[in-house]
Amino acid sequence: MDRRAFVRLLAAAPLLRAQIRSGRPAVNVVSKYAPAAAPGMPGPYPGRVVSVASAKAVDVSTGAANDEIVRDMMARGMRALTGAATTAEAWRRFFEPADRVGIKVNCGGYPHCISAYEIVAEVIRQLMDVGVPPSQIFIYERFQNQLDEVNYAPRVPDGVSIVAAERANRNVDNSGYDPATYLEADFFGEDDTRSNMMRLVSERLMKIVNIPNMKDHGATGVTGCLKNVAYGSFSNVARTHQRGVSHTYSVVGTLASIEPLRSRTVLQIMDGLRGVWHGGPFARTTRYVFYPRQIMFGTDPVAIDRLLLDIIDNERKAHGAISIWDRSAASLRMDDSRARDADPNVNIIIREPGHVEYASTLGLGVYDRARIAVQDIRVD
Amino acid sequence: MFAALSCVVLTQDAADRLTIRFSTGALSDAELSSREALATPGVTARAGVASPTRAPWIVANGWRVVRQPGAKYRYDLPAGKAALAAAEAFAYGADALLKIDPADETSLRAMLAFLEGLPRVDLPAIADLAVVEDGTAVAGEVMNLLARRNLLYEIVKAPSARYRLTVAVGSREFPVEEAADPSAFALKIRRLLTDEQRTLRIYGTEVVIARLVGDAARVRVHLINYSGREIEGLRVRLRGAYGTGEAFAAGAGRVALQDHVVAGGATEFSLPRIGIYAVIDLNGTR
Repeated sequence: MDRRAFVRLLAAAPLLRAQIRSGRPAVNVVSKYAPAAAPGMPGPYPGRVVSVASAKAVDVSTGAANDEIVRDMMARGMRALTGAATTAEAWRRFFEPADRVGIKVNCGGYPHCISAYEIVAEVIRQLMDVGVPPSQIFIYERFQNQLDEVNYAPRVPDGVSIVAAERANRNVDNSGYDPATYLEADFFGEDDTRSNMMRLVSERLMKIVNIPNMKDHGATGVTGCLKNVAYGSFSNVARTHQRGVSHTYSVVGTLASIEPLRSRTVLQIMDGLRGVWHGGPFARTTRYVFYPRQIMFGTDPVAIDRLLLDIIDNERKAHGAISIWDRSAASLRMDDSRARDADPNVNIIIREPGHVEYASTLGLGVYDRARIAVQDIRVD
Repeated sequence: MFAALSCVVLTQDAADRLTIRFSTGALSDAELSSREALATPGVTARAGVASPTRAPWIVANGWRVVRQPGAKYRYDLPAGKAALAAAEAFAYGADALLKIDPADETSLRAMLAFLEGLPRVDLPAIADLAVVEDGTAVAGEVMNLLARRNLLYEIVKAPSARYRLTVAVGSREFPVEEAADPSAFALKIRRLLTDEQRTLRIYGTEVVIARLVGDAARVRVHLINYSGREIEGLRVRLRGAYGTGEAFAAGAGRVALQDHVVAGGATEFSLPRIGIYAVIDLNGTR
């Protein structure tokens, strides 16, 4: 062991002990909403994932997606998932004209890895074909500044709302959150101990389409279906991970399971046209961007995220980087995001990819890989 | 009147009646030196100093006024801080002289007009715990951190049976060595008290300090926002049942409380917006 690693180990030791001691934090969930008879997660297809891939989906030299190919991938994926004869019929299995539908996008990886314009636009097109008017379709994300950067507006029909809960990640805008639906927990002695659900989710939406990306995440290992819809629908969640310790192991799944979010999230479309294998959830450079060029469909967020764990870990291995499961003190440079960005063998927090398995214990889906049926489709 | 204003002296009587004395010229050295200097209130970035909770570092003076209520104070304020200092002095009933930057005259005037227009009340402070005054700087820093964490305390001369928890720095339960880290010390006190037992909680921000006064019939919540940014939807939880009341926000006047709920032995409500300062008056329902 070199001296630097030894010093890091010494520095991290108390934290590691603290983490081992801390276990799962006590949380108090408050919600007046009852679960639906058949909650959206895991929905009608637990343990089932359709993965559609196409080498032509993205021009890797430019990063540009091929809209026509993406639409074909979407159509085939939805038909395969539902067994419907037509694409329209596949979408009608989930939606009806009276629905108010939210599309949970992910803008944190701007500019290189966000919920693709082509996929978001296609979801809206299909919803409108079902009969859902644009005025009942809401693209949403927590932060307005991120939505502004990504700017979906020119790519979607007039009348579609683009909604954020806060202007930016500054913890000063609470009016977009429901004061009566929240998780309360004291993780690190913070004063503000509540994470509230977005009002849009609890008070307006009837159904949600979740469109995460295939991304690494410094605190959770990966950020997929669970993390996107959970941390992207509640306030004040960054407090769960700091100073090397991450409570995301239990909090991601717990948030995703809170009603009405759990019941209303009816469709998962994992955008893997582009991915991030390190430095996530951000993608400020192309250094850690890769191109899976696939889209996964399902209703079970755990099953899709279980596959994502392997996708990100395999990509990291291909680059000689430490596993997302690495918990060694030698890899930990606490809160040193600059070091993390420079070196894929640096963790700034001990990651908790086990959050996916934990979510399965809450009934959100199937984690056991042997029980997950994956249907691979290739579009040429 | 404010064109050449340089100093404002705020004094209050027991009924929160505000007396404001303006000075357009230099005050005497004797008057200035007779007053204890207070820090410029606000939020500061402390490079290289990590907070255990990443909470912003608030510079607030209320704890000092509570500790020495009879003292006279002075603020020597840079531009942009006069209104905040006036609100802080008012909330804690301080006899304070504000030496201001001329650029702040308009904002200070607006704040003073707001303070003068508030309904008058004369209510005692509400506390959840006692802190034994030993006159030390360590005890003072503990009071500072307790105030910043909105842990309501009363200063006592000796352990008090009126409170479930009495903090005496240097006692076996609260050794002075632990108080060397006031933030951790305050957290220990909070966890001994438990959040469930706290009379007042604030959600949606960590940069607002509250002062709570009241009796069996009514309460007044002072909210001072040290951040310099407006906060929307700040939520307050009070133990006890309180009906709808009146809220007044500097810059906005009378505002309606939102999402007012009385349940589970507590009252909760949200303020649509708070700039520097707001006051909420609530009447008990019993």
